[in-house]
Amino acid sequence: MLWTLLAMHVVAVVAIAGSGRWLKIRVLLACAAVAPAATAIWASVQLLQGSGPTIAELTWVEGLDLGLRFSTDALALMMTLLVSGIGALVFVYATGYFSADAPSGARFSASLLGFSASMLGLVWADSVWTLFIFWELTSVTSFLLVGHKNTDEKVQQAARRALMITGAGGLVLLAGLLVLASEAGTTIITDIGQIGGSAGTVAALLVLVGAATKSAQVPFHVWLPGAMAAPTPVSAYLHSATMVKAGVLLLAVTGGAFVDVQAFQTVGMAFGVTSVLWGAIGALRHRDAKLILAWGTVSQLGLLVTLLSIGTGKAVFAAVSVLFAHALFKAALFLVVGEIDIRTGTRDIDELGGLARKMPIAFAVALAAGLSMAGAPPLLGFAAKEAAIEAVVKLSGFEMIAAGIGIIGGSVLTVAYTVRFLVTVFGPGPDTPVGPRRLAMTLPAVLLGAAGLVGFAALGVVNEIVLPAAVELNADAAKYSLLRWPGFTTAFGISAAVLIAGAALGGALSRHAAHAPEPLGADSADRLIDGTMSVARQVTARVQHGSLPVYVTVMASTASLAALPFFADLDTSHLVWADQPMQAVLAVAIVGSAIAGAFVGSRLGAALTLGAVGTGMSGLFILHGAPDLALTQLLVETIVVVGFVVGLGHLARQFPPVTGGWRTVRLTMSILGGVAVAGALAAASANPSGRTPVEQLATESVEEGGGNNIVNVILTDMRALDTLGEVVVLATVAVGILALANLRDPEASA
Amino acid sequence: MSIALLFTIGGLTTVGLYLITARSMSRILLGFALLGHAAVLALLASGGPPGAAPITNQSTPAEIANPVPQALALTAIVISFGLTLFLLALARRQQVLSGDDLVEDDLEDHRIAEGTT
Repeated sequence: MLWTLLAMHVVAVVAIAGSGRWLKIRVLLACAAVAPAATAIWASVQLLQGSGPTIAELTWVEGLDLGLRFSTDALALMMTLLVSGIGALVFVYATGYFSADAPSGARFSASLLGFSASMLGLVWADSVWTLFIFWELTSVTSFLLVGHKNTDEKVQQAARRALMITGAGGLVLLAGLLVLASEAGTTIITDIGQIGGSAGTVAALLVLVGAATKSAQVPFHVWLPGAMAAPTPVSAYLHSATMVKAGVLLLAVTGGAFVDVQAFQTVGMAFGVTSVLWGAIGALRHRDAKLILAWGTVSQLGLLVTLLSIGTGKAVFAAVSVLFAHALFKAALFLVVGEIDIRTGTRDIDELGGLARKMPIAFAVALAAGLSMAGAPPLLGFAAKEAAIEAVVKLSGFEMIAAGIGIIGGSVLTVAYTVRFLVTVFGPGPDTPVGPRRLAMTLPAVLLGAAGLVGFAALGVVNEIVLPAAVELNADAAKYSLLRWPGFTTAFGISAAVLIAGAALGGALSRHAAHAPEPLGADSADRLIDGTMSVARQVTARVQHGSLPVYVTVMASTASLAALPFFADLDTSHLVWADQPMQAVLAVAIVGSAIAGAFVGSRLGAALTLGAVGTGMSGLFILHGAPDLALTQLLVETIVVVGFVVGLGHLARQFPPVTGGWRTVRLTMSILGGVAVAGALAAASANPSGRTPVEQLATESVEEGGGNNIVNVILTDMRALDTLGEVVVLATVAVGILALANLRDPEASA
Repeated sequence: MSIALLFTIGGLTTVGLYLITARSMSRILLGFALLGHAAVLALLASGGPPGAAPITNQSTPAEIANPVPQALALTAIVISFGLTLFLLALARRQQVLSGDDLVEDDLEDHRIAEGTT
């Protein structure tokens, strides 16, 4: 089933990408919605039936555990529901967002659907390799979508920044997954047990950094506000509801392995708490409604990371609940902002006002989603936030203080920026002109906004989705559930205080017009990226400077040094001085002629020494018992010498003089190469790994090949196809030589 | 294995490597030819000790030299022959077009290097 769903996505991506010439963007987007809708329906049926995980596997290299492996446990099903459910709604929404004749419709629709498929692969992945591949695919598709308006330089820069940060994080993650897999002894994620020690710490830190780049944790968050350059459907889908959750999801599934690793908790908590607070402060500083939501996402992701690094059953349960609730309300809020942007032409909260009256449906959706974000009853966000605060209350010591500051302080600020957002956009203010409503935009927003209310009303259903997912991660989570009315507990008291304090702060701040702040950190990230590019260019210029002799020297020296390990166990007992006395004489003659050929000044002299070497080689072949080789060598050598003499008629009589100290380098490199080849050969021949079945070859060449000369039968019979290839090579060379030889001096012929 | 053969292989490799790092195309092709010889000898030497010619009606299978490397070496000789002649034609063309047979640095790579400064 998983293959069918994935194949459906891939076929749709290809079909959409290919049909851009004939179909407009709205038709393409509507077609693209089919595959996610089908997947969402499948996932809901699976969830309702409570059936066990579906596993799909495709092995490539068995010994290395290489291949694709998917498994849909309860957590993966919950994520599938979010990815595909929100995905289908976003596709519908986008048909209203884009004008009917918007350009590059095929590229946009295909990339967005491609992202949807990559995200499914990521949440289903049950092998570290599969996880990594789809992780990177989401980065690439995200790059394409952020850079949709590819003629704008600022957009290009934002897309590049997002790709560089998440791409670098992906490499760090790969290193972490490698350490994790080798330490755990398996690449299958569900089979990974607990690991510890220094390897555990290294793996935990690498995985944390990978997750922090994807989930926009401070200081890697700088790409996320920039990614708001994407069309709003993309921001709603990728940069709030789904892709940025990938890092959180990664921490959730690997968290079990790092239970004993203190660094995982400490560093994770540091990332999380900083991001909760800094993200929320960012959301309070900005004037662009979309940026307020983006910074809010950084804050909410920090909350999730904090909860997961606490790692207790209650905290994990709270994390999964908040993740679910956040996806719903944040997607709804983005869709509303997108609608405001299209209908009023601005997202600046100073220019917006009075929209509660002019856009009542959007206001209702924003109110429901916003209150859910603030954690107010009677909404799903309230139940989830209660669980989070209760998880903190149950802690003790330093952990409680850190997590308390993060989660409770963050909650106050969250309420504040929510109130500021709602008041400034929908409350009294400038009289903004509003364009006509588009049904395709309203409907998905209403559905997502209502989900928070319905979810709270039917909390049992939400529990059935969230609880098994949390239990997959931590068995202790089983005793908790989301409560509609927690009673007058400590957590409820804190919640109430948070709401009051946050509302007061937000109300106060919304009366002051804010200056749009500089995008802090984005500049330094860009400088770092540009610096990396420039270093890469300089290294390329240094390494690839165009001199063929230098390339050959570098390669030959490297290969020679690589042969050094052979010398460690060089066994000389199997070596004899010479098989026959004549062999030694020929050896000296051959090497002597070769050396003479290298230093002789005249080209004719060099050609003659080459002939001498070839003749000596024939002698060695005779001595070795290879008359066919000797005969061929003599023939070939004759033709080469003749060719030289004919060809040299056009070349200068003397070689051009050799200059400089470069000669010493060349000599050193060549001696090193010669010693390496001879030494490696001597070492290798000490342990012959097998023996050629000479008897069998002899019988077969007579009985099947019909010839007594085994070498000939091998060439013409057993390896006939190779010999045919050889003939083709020679024919090609002959044609080439003919073409080159007919070339006349262009000036002489002119 | 015979030290004389190893010496020949090592010596041919050394001179061959020295020559293919030269600037003159005709020297480079001499180097290729010598490296080809070294490779053929290495194939032959790694096949085992010398013996009688591998012809079934003249010697018994126990006496003959290993025929498999000989078959491989035969192909190698022919291919390096083709390569040598092709390089010779290239050197001649270079001579006709530019007056000498020197291998120049790659212009495209030079342009990359200049683009950074």
